[in-house]
Amino acid sequence: MNNLAVKYGNRMGARILVLFGFFALGSLCVQAQQLSVQGGNQVLSVTTALAGQEPASATNTNSSLRYRRQALNAKITVATSCPAQKFTLRTLATGVTVGTAAPEVTLSNGMPATDFITNIPSGAGGFVTSTLQYTASATFAQGNSAEQGNDVHTVTYTLVAQ
Amino acid sequence: MAVMKKYLLHILLFVLSGASSSMAQTYATGDHTVTVQISTITMVSVSVGAISMTITGAGVPAGQDQMTATNQSSQLQWGINSSSRKITAQTNLAAPQFTLKLLALNPTQGTAAAEVILSTTAQDFMLNIGRSLGNCTLQYTGVALASQGTGTDSHTITFTVQTQ
Repeated sequence: MNNLAVKYGNRMGARILVLFGFFALGSLCVQAQQLSVQGGNQVLSVTTALAGQEPASATNTNSSLRYRRQALNAKITVATSCPAQKFTLRTLATGVTVGTAAPEVTLSNGMPATDFITNIPSGAGGFVTSTLQYTASATFAQGNSAEQGNDVHTVTYTLVAQ
Repeated sequence: MAVMKKYLLHILLFVLSGASSSMAQTYATGDHTVTVQISTITMVSVSVGAISMTITGAGVPAGQDQMTATNQSSQLQWGINSSSRKITAQTNLAAPQFTLKLLALNPTQGTAAAEVILSTTAQDFMLNIGRSLGNCTLQYTGVALASQGTGTDSHTITFTVQTQ
């Protein structure tokens, strides 16, 4: 009886592992399709200043966020990793057709995930795209990249249930 | 065997429900890198294009040879995002008939150097202005001696940001 239970248990265990493997793989595939950043990596350069003013900020709208509705109401958050950050970088969702764009977010190294697009209603539907508007700035007092190096942010957008 | 089967089913349900609930919280993530580069920016400007000073000798006591005129109508503005910088001043007039002095008044950043007599050699005008946005009033003082007679000097003053 004990041998039979062990044998049966092993077979069941194997089935569980296989089932869980398929489930996990399927979940990852579904995850990958639900949100993506389009346009690749971006570079912003601050190069000029007017007399009596801080350097003019640089804006970049060459990337976008592609996402879709979920079974539950959802939102998208943003966070960044930028060790030894020196300059200022802000991001704003523009052209949002599904959900509500949050106010512009100032990206700071190690920041908690911060609302970026909220109130994405549940339901079916195809993908929608929102433009990512990045704005970089620095004061004269913050220095320059030649002396201090560039800031390189890894900006992460996450689609979560709201 | 029935007990084992039930036990394993519970494990399966537990694993699947746990995984499902965690997936329900986070649907997906996406990321990219964004690089911010700040160029070396050095900006210097003068608020007034041309200044005229006339030494009339009015108010000079009888018997005194030296006469002066002072002008504080212009400002120098700068924006520098490099460290350890100073501003020098010089004139293009190699042999002036009269003396022209320059002093920085009320600088918002850095330290004013001592008043200089302008020459074709660059001289320190403002010190310690690295990584700052600031301004100061330009005080020009023209000096003439009665014995020098009359005439006109025309200077082009150049301000230069240099490494300190």
